[in-house]
Amino acid sequence: MGETLHLLDQSELVDAIKSNDAIVLKNLYINNYHKVEALVLKNSGSVEHAKDIYQDAFITVWNNIKNNAFTPKNDTALQGYLYTIAKNKWTDVLRSKAFKNSKVLNHEVLTVVKDEDFDEIDDDLKNKKLKTVMAAFKNLGQPCKQLLSTFYFDKKSLKDIASELNIEETTARNKKYRCMEKLRTMVLASK
Amino acid sequence: MKDKSDIAQELLEIIERYINGSMTSQELKDFNQLLELDNDFKVKIEDIKTMLLGIETQSLKEQLDEFHKDIPKAIAQNQNKKKFEFLNFNKIAVAAAIIIAVGSIWFFNTPQNEKLYAKYFTPDPGLPTVMGTSDNFEFYDAMVNYKHGDYNIAIEKWKALQEKKPENDTISYFLGVAHLANKNEIEAIPYLERSIEAEDDFIFLDHAYLYLGLAYLKEGNIELAKKHLSLSNTDNSKELISKLTD
Repeated sequence: MGETLHLLDQSELVDAIKSNDAIVLKNLYINNYHKVEALVLKNSGSVEHAKDIYQDAFITVWNNIKNNAFTPKNDTALQGYLYTIAKNKWTDVLRSKAFKNSKVLNHEVLTVVKDEDFDEIDDDLKNKKLKTVMAAFKNLGQPCKQLLSTFYFDKKSLKDIASELNIEETTARNKKYRCMEKLRTMVLASK
Repeated sequence: MKDKSDIAQELLEIIERYINGSMTSQELKDFNQLLELDNDFKVKIEDIKTMLLGIETQSLKEQLDEFHKDIPKAIAQNQNKKKFEFLNFNKIAVAAAIIIAVGSIWFFNTPQNEKLYAKYFTPDPGLPTVMGTSDNFEFYDAMVNYKHGDYNIAIEKWKALQEKKPENDTISYFLGVAHLANKNEIEAIPYLERSIEAEDDFIFLDHAYLYLGLAYLKEGNIELAKKHLSLSNTDNSKELISKLTD
């Protein structure tokens, strides 16, 4: 699998990430984790910290690619970028008051630091809204979650979704709309 | 977020198309104009964008946890995978070797023959045509066409003549070389075969063997090519035989 990723050139990689290609994302995730884990473990972190920091960095990279904020300049640019972001994030954690004050390393620390970090980068309000949506979506009923995720994340067509669920395309379309409304209601309620 | 009531299904789908960039340029123009004019609309768009980004980000986050479960396994699998790829590589190598071997037999045989053929084949210059030898008018008339490279016309004429004089070895010989000059060795071979059955004092015998050998060479039949070339007492055939025996 790792081989496949190396064979893709960086612009193909960027395109695949933009379309949320599951195989490419998984390859990228798995092949670059150990370096970050080694870094965090060497610098007073735990395996749990490594996982959190890495996932956070991964989502940042993914988001920057989506927004065209990253353009690859060499063959391993993306992999290097992912590592650098993870490293910066971990450095921020190490420098944070919360981390220095805490005698026991725990999850709370990381969560606090990550929030601060996030706020620095994006504007506060937008980020809050995003977090609200993410929380609401997390708690959305499974059928709606599945449908919206397949449509918006996997980017499958309504036609394909309909045939997988064995329903009419118009039914799928209406379902999708109702699920979006449900999600909106949840977001508004949690505000 | 704004009120939930005022985002209709159609609007949602239009916004989706705006976000994923599948609008026509006209639609996009209208849409951007609306964005500039209507601030409420703009806010609405931003809200939907955030919703969609939230769905995607949360979906990715949940997938990452799934990916993470495969990390230790992935290392083990990587090793298996490498082994597997290695085995596969062997198979591919064997297959490639066979393809190369077969390919080179084909490559070094056929085109090599073609090359040799091209190097040693020059059409028989034909016979001098003298005006006034009326008894053989039809034969020399075709010879003029042959010399001009109009092989098809020459062949037609000689064929007609051959029906009248089926025993004439010269006509058989020229029909053979005309076909050969016309890049049709399959047709040439029977005529040339007939011409070498002539008496030993047949003036074109050496050349008939040479051209027959060349025809077989072009056809890819090295053994028959060698056999006939060896019967020809010409410089070309001797040279060609030594090349083929190498």
